[in-house]
Amino acid sequence: MPSALPVTPDEDRFTGQLSSRIGILQQGLRRISRSSTLADLGACSLEALRLTVPSMETGLGYRQKGRKAWEALGECSARGLTELRRASADAAVPNPATIGKRGGCLVQRLADDSSVGLFVRPHRGFSVTDLDLVTFRLFLQLFDGAYQEMAFRKNEKSLVFSLNHRILQLNSLIETGIEVSRLTENQSPHHLALIRAVSLVNASRGVVRVHSGKRLREEYVFPEGSPLRQTPGGAGRLESSFDFLDHSYTFVLYNKESRDGRGVFEETDQLLLDALARQVHASMENRYLHEQAIEKERIEKELNVATSIQAKILPDALPKIRGYGVAGVNIPSKSVGGDYYNCFELPDGTYALVVADVAGKGVPAALLVSSLHAYLRAFLEQAMPLRDLGSRLDKSLYRDSTDDKFVTAFIARLKPTTGEIEYLNAGHNPAYLLRTDGSIEELPNGGPPLGILNLPIVFESKRITISKGEQLLIYTDGIPEAENEHEEFFETHHPLAEYFAAQKPASADAFIKKLIADVKQFAGSGPQSDDITAIYLRRI
Amino acid sequence: MDQEFSLTSQLRDRRLVITTSGYVNNTGGQAIATEFDRHFAQGVREVIINLAGSKVVNSVGMSFLLEILEKLQDAGGAMVFTNLDPAVDKMLTIMGIFSIAGKAATVDDAIKKLS
Repeated sequence: MPSALPVTPDEDRFTGQLSSRIGILQQGLRRISRSSTLADLGACSLEALRLTVPSMETGLGYRQKGRKAWEALGECSARGLTELRRASADAAVPNPATIGKRGGCLVQRLADDSSVGLFVRPHRGFSVTDLDLVTFRLFLQLFDGAYQEMAFRKNEKSLVFSLNHRILQLNSLIETGIEVSRLTENQSPHHLALIRAVSLVNASRGVVRVHSGKRLREEYVFPEGSPLRQTPGGAGRLESSFDFLDHSYTFVLYNKESRDGRGVFEETDQLLLDALARQVHASMENRYLHEQAIEKERIEKELNVATSIQAKILPDALPKIRGYGVAGVNIPSKSVGGDYYNCFELPDGTYALVVADVAGKGVPAALLVSSLHAYLRAFLEQAMPLRDLGSRLDKSLYRDSTDDKFVTAFIARLKPTTGEIEYLNAGHNPAYLLRTDGSIEELPNGGPPLGILNLPIVFESKRITISKGEQLLIYTDGIPEAENEHEEFFETHHPLAEYFAAQKPASADAFIKKLIADVKQFAGSGPQSDDITAIYLRRI
Repeated sequence: MDQEFSLTSQLRDRRLVITTSGYVNNTGGQAIATEFDRHFAQGVREVIINLAGSKVVNSVGMSFLLEILEKLQDAGGAMVFTNLDPAVDKMLTIMGIFSIAGKAATVDDAIKKLS
């Protein structure tokens, strides 16, 4: 085995001095390794070097990747920076050195292709030795290691920050969805969404505009009062919009921010803005549907109340009149209709036959039907002439109804023993009297609808006599105007007077059943457009 | 809601209280950092950030606050946030700020916390 070469005294002294210097540098390393900024790293490193080699004036420079200019790290004289620039002029040389006994420069290329440069100038009476040169090279290696460690820590922090920011964005997206769904009617979900969007994508400012057609209905800017600089499209602007009912909502964000100056909006920023806009859209739709459901429930409750009121008003069955057959029907088109019919005996032995039609449907119409029913009974029982009854009903109903409500009515009073009928037609369809010879007599208007005008109207009543075998039909317009799927009226295909004359019913009930069956067959599967009401009377 | 950013500051027993108003973004964060640096250079090591007038903070503004925190940590100092809007409180929590900074309801509470 070859024996190791003997170490000379000079080599031994060199090694000893180098170890001592490394020791001093390593002590400084503990502080260097905690450096969080390049300036701090430079200052700490330089301090450690000056402790290690006190016989030299030293300075550190830093050159960012791709740049020519050197900047001082800690203290570095202008002469030092000039020397560094001169030394590194030849970019092809990776780690140039122009150092001699009277000083010079050493440059170390760092892991990210930026460079650190060391400028050295011996104090008076000293010169750069081989030991100094090795120390400087070692120093630059150690600086490179510390620089890499600092860059790693910086990247790690940046990664953690970025991950936390993503978590924040997702959390905020969920929270915003919940918040906008909980806002009351007077709060604006699009305002909240804009504020969230601006902050989550790091925009400088934003605006949400609400248009109805081309007309701007609302503009909300965040931060409030900030000027909206219309940066040309692309990186400086982000937009998302949706339509709801007859409004369009447009969110616009301006100027992506970053620590390095203005940034560029990314695809994820667009996704985030779209998601927030969708949440607002969904919240508005849900609120609208919820309100619709509540309104529907309210109407249904009202209709149920009105239906129960009307059920008590309309007769379950008509009375039997000696010498006559009588039948009636009422089929409302909605759950509560505006038609009324009745037949009841009066104290003087006569019978009232009434068919009426209130303008409108639903609860308001049902309430007016209720008033009509009460007034009719009261006035008819007073045995007043029908023309007077018409006037009193007119005034009473005008007082009870709104401007758009009125009543057409056919009111008849039958004296069964003689067949004498006094009738009043207040704006109603003409009733038909079918004589035994097959002729039809129309019983026309004797005044306007009831409750329509606040004037002292004089109504005209008339008298007829119904003989054995003769028939009377009183009806509302729901029969002649029943529509089929082609929107044609029953009256067009079956003129009601002719239809009436052509029937040979076995009984009053049979006539009503056939009439309803024929009307329904004509209408087919289409929805019933109006209430269907009729009273049929036949003298036997 | 938040207007453009502005701040005021005062020293209370060598503790810097920075009170902000408006959106803490790049501009706001930079303004806070500048104000902090001015006092840090004069030896101030305890800082209270009063966000009573700031309901919105973005992550760029947040990065300035983190940088101030790191400087204070390196110098053995401390930082406390006060008057936080719930949304800002949640944001600071998610970003991990409260593992290195304090939180108090009011400025007076923050001063007690630092004492």
